[in-house]
Amino acid sequence: MTRKLELVCPAGTPASLRAAVDAGADAVYLGFRDETNARNFPGLNFSRAELADGLAYAHDRNTQVFLAINTFPEAGNPDPWRKAVDDAAAMGVDAVILADIGMCDYAATKHPDLRRHLSVQASASNPEAIRFYADAFDVKRVVLPRVLTIKEIAELNAQIPVETEVFVFGGLCVMAEGRCALSSYATGESPNISGVCSPASHVRYEDEGDRMVSRLGNFTINTFGADEPAGYPTLCKGRFVAAGKASYLFEEPTSLNAAEMLPELAEAGVTALKIEGRQRGRAYIAEVVSAFRRAVDAAAVGERASIELSTVTEGQKKTSGVYEKTWR
Amino acid sequence: MRHSSEYGETARMNRPRNTSRKRTMTPPFSPVLLAGMAMRPLPPRMLQPILTAALRTVLRRHPEVFERLAILDDPVFLIDPIDLPFMFILRPHPSAPDLRAVRDAQDEPFTAAIRGSMLALTDLLEGRIDGDSLFFSRDLEIEGDTEAVVALRNAVDGAEIDVFTDIAALFGPAAGPARRLATHARGLLDAATRDMESLRAAITAPATRRAEAQAARLDKLEEKVQELGRAARRAAPAASRTKRSAKP
Repeated sequence: MTRKLELVCPAGTPASLRAAVDAGADAVYLGFRDETNARNFPGLNFSRAELADGLAYAHDRNTQVFLAINTFPEAGNPDPWRKAVDDAAAMGVDAVILADIGMCDYAATKHPDLRRHLSVQASASNPEAIRFYADAFDVKRVVLPRVLTIKEIAELNAQIPVETEVFVFGGLCVMAEGRCALSSYATGESPNISGVCSPASHVRYEDEGDRMVSRLGNFTINTFGADEPAGYPTLCKGRFVAAGKASYLFEEPTSLNAAEMLPELAEAGVTALKIEGRQRGRAYIAEVVSAFRRAVDAAAVGERASIELSTVTEGQKKTSGVYEKTWR
Repeated sequence: MRHSSEYGETARMNRPRNTSRKRTMTPPFSPVLLAGMAMRPLPPRMLQPILTAALRTVLRRHPEVFERLAILDDPVFLIDPIDLPFMFILRPHPSAPDLRAVRDAQDEPFTAAIRGSMLALTDLLEGRIDGDSLFFSRDLEIEGDTEAVVALRNAVDGAEIDVFTDIAALFGPAAGPARRLATHARGLLDAATRDMESLRAAITAPATRRAEAQAARLDKLEEKVQELGRAARRAAPAASRTKRSAKP
């Protein structure tokens, strides 16, 4: 029998939170409706009152709630981020997910009993960096950037005193999280500061008869044929012409699916599995969380589950991403 | 504060009032399509009492939809069910919301348009299908201000709207029987949709088989052409070497 992995699931609205809890999430992560979290999308996220209701719903069903405060405070304006940490502590969330060193210090100093997780946005991927966050701010868990193989995760876990959480499903960042400037370059707004990559306010889809063109700011990102599956309009998933040939220079529109690797991830010492997609609808949450609930339960008894989720993936394709790193 | 960039401030999309272009999506073969054909002679204004009542119900039962849309500057949405002979113009203003049906939207300025089959749009409204998934599969088309579309999608997805229950609520004391009737009607509609899909598959099966066989032949031909191309490239340097070695 393998150690049971914890399933951490996204919620962009109270309805999604209930869908995630009902589908078997061990924990739900969410954000306030402002720039303090990295999914600051229009019409998404939680008011304080909605979080209070969500906490009651989740806790009644033995599900934890983590609050993502994982953007970097604007210089000279730390108050929204500090208030988010204060409210998280006052409302009784089970952990805050932080990225900024200043916010880690603020939370550790002001609310020492508030459990702290380090966001993937902090991009801590080596033992020295992780030990620093553990020693300085008593961070209990690190969400690992999607740049490590399973072997590298195992080696890392052997050298650090904290839990690790890894992404197992959803949209992929091919860049080092927290350090990507593509969205800033194209639009002036980024996930790091504004809480949104390739903001919808800068995106336009245009029908040109036999093809659909997606544009981000002044850049053409892609053109899709009539029946070709579409992807997100981010620069890293763009199809560009180089040397006379159009191709995905950085990454194809595809989603991570590591469902078949859960036994290896458990063996590597991983504590928790994260599903990406706070910006997705509650139908996605219900479908993906229930599928991974089955996969996690199967892994706990030494079985391997293969789950079919291609209809909800970007580009309707999946990858095991960097976990296998076959290109090395 | 917005952060400026080389492109940022000029690249932010304005919020123009778009006007509609012709429908280019092909509607699915469904009971809705047939019903739409039957409804073609009816003037859209006949739907107005139902639309007004439905919108009032949503405002009363799901006020959070309008709260989540408050970040937008008085948007107007064109909701275009491609299998019906009319479209909807939605103005979700919190104090004066408006929903009307129009025959075409050529002269109707809008902030953003959302197109898809009526069933896909209803599934989206009720949160039974994920909007991004519909978009990835190209079963949903959007036009105009993407931020407005994303906000509307998030607002309705978070509201747990149930079209039939909400409509049944209009019947006051008779809401219970109306809901049971609506549930029964939905079951019949789902069954009819499945039956028509089977019928469509049966009718198009011979053509599909022929198309698949032709596609397989084309794939083989393409492979053959690529093989020949590679062989030609391999032969070219060899010939060139032979020529060079023939020189004194």
